[in-house]
Amino acid sequence: MRYYPNIPDLNVNSSINLLLRRAKENRTVEIEEYITTGGYSALKKALTKFTPEDIVVLVEESTLRGRGGAGFPTGRKWRFALSNPPPRYLICNADESEPGTFKDRIIIERDPHLLIEGMAIAGYALGAELGFIYIRGEYPAGAKILEDAIEDARKKGYLGKNILGTDFSFDILVYRGAGAYICGEETALIESLEGKRGHPRLRPPYPANYGLFGKPTVVNNVETLSNIPIIVTYESYYMNIGSSGYYGPKLFPISGKVNKPGVYEATMDITLRDLIDMAGGIRDGKKFKAVFAGALGVYSERDLDTPMDYSPKGFGGTGTTIVLAEDDCIIDSLIVIAEFFEHESCGKCTPCRVGTYEQLNILRKFQNGTATEEDIKLLEHLGRNIPVGSICGLGYSASNAIMDALKKFRDEFYEHINGNCPAGVCFKND
Amino acid sequence: MEFIYLTEEIKQQIDRYVEKFPLKDQAIIQSLHLIYSKYRDIEDVHMKELSEYLQVPLNVIEGIVSFYDMFRVKRGARHHIRVCKNLPCHIMGCKNLLKMFEKLTGEKANQYSKNGRFYIETVECIGSCSIAPAFMIDDDLYEGLNITEEKLNEILSKYT
Repeated sequence: MRYYPNIPDLNVNSSINLLLRRAKENRTVEIEEYITTGGYSALKKALTKFTPEDIVVLVEESTLRGRGGAGFPTGRKWRFALSNPPPRYLICNADESEPGTFKDRIIIERDPHLLIEGMAIAGYALGAELGFIYIRGEYPAGAKILEDAIEDARKKGYLGKNILGTDFSFDILVYRGAGAYICGEETALIESLEGKRGHPRLRPPYPANYGLFGKPTVVNNVETLSNIPIIVTYESYYMNIGSSGYYGPKLFPISGKVNKPGVYEATMDITLRDLIDMAGGIRDGKKFKAVFAGALGVYSERDLDTPMDYSPKGFGGTGTTIVLAEDDCIIDSLIVIAEFFEHESCGKCTPCRVGTYEQLNILRKFQNGTATEEDIKLLEHLGRNIPVGSICGLGYSASNAIMDALKKFRDEFYEHINGNCPAGVCFKND
Repeated sequence: MEFIYLTEEIKQQIDRYVEKFPLKDQAIIQSLHLIYSKYRDIEDVHMKELSEYLQVPLNVIEGIVSFYDMFRVKRGARHHIRVCKNLPCHIMGCKNLLKMFEKLTGEKANQYSKNGRFYIETVECIGSCSIAPAFMIDDDLYEGLNITEEKLNEILSKYT
């Protein structure tokens, strides 16, 4: 019996049973069970029936988009890397550390072979011989589970030299990060994977041209790669899952003031309202106030009927949904988010390093009652300038939450200037 | 050079990493994890030995240690309590949980451990938002909602 660190049940639910088919219970699916439930048949099918080019075309046609937040079409990313000569590398980004995101760990800890199968197929399509899984340092159990699963897969001949008797060879190495949010950014991840400090690189050149060890590299999220076996299995039927243009299953990690927080699998045409209903509605019968979503956009009651897809109006991103009820304060929440960005800024770009610090200080003034209308203008100024002065996604999204809140909950800022917190959270002396 | 802190076991593991990864530098962070899980702090002596063993300049290793949060902070304790303070845990009441920990262990959050048993650290999202407020003790993850002092004491007593 293998020993893994304690993981409580994180509550997983699915109505469509694709990504989370085997992952509903709080245990790790071993390789035997994975195979008897149809596992590795997609890899077999890919290696025997398809050429690498066929798989790239399948992924392109599936309209699969990166599930890590940016939503870049996966097929196009692969195509860029394929235009460069080998050796190519495949990296699985398992460094999910965005506030409120905990979907990838479900796949890693409960159904690791789904990810391994997806990586093997992706490796075949990309002509890569080596793949890495960069897993965040805070998931020690996940790293152990993956290493054991990879070892099992090697023994059964699904990884390693001449997989399933073909001339395709592929292996995966697990690499642990050490607690830096910035390493979820693909170029910073590559730097960290090369054994350096995780500073993002200036782009271009993009990783597809100059990535790991200077070679063409594809960096994909765990959930993206776990979609690959499903695409290969279902082929054109994949386009029946979900709404037009945004096909496929999506994991939604819901947390905050809902009755049953957890990871829910659904198609992307689901609206925010349905998603909250799926999670059992707002806790204690309170009223809904706001949602902090992927890359921390803030959404109010007016956005409840927006679909969770990648359209400009939709939520897109990681699917993260942090629900706030009427007794939570927007300013208080923004301070927590600002603290996060101030702490996690790597310090490479001055506008991000200093801007996130100033942003936090200004927000704190709202909480202790020394803010003026001038401070709102300063926040807007920072919100416009931090993104344009930064080179990576952290800087781009550092003021998203504040800018959105200034649009949708502007009155709360004025209330705080007048020394009044509508939710009754701030101005308490304890 | 004789290695005092890098035990045979750790050295074997490091050798395996060096062999496995295409680039020697890739073994640094993984080796630091080994040292961290054994000694629970990365001190100068550890870095010197690792630099000697891997034949990597000390400044490179120090650069890495000072960048990554898990290695940077000096804690001085056998067990690390990581209490998540990000938004989902914040609105579910991680401050109360933190107070309970401070009361039960006698340590202050984010301060060098006084008696060498526990170090309490407030960390950013540990990816367990559905069981918010979540906390980790060493490698184990726990749920903090509706937790009582009694239950918490029971959990803490497992870590001596």
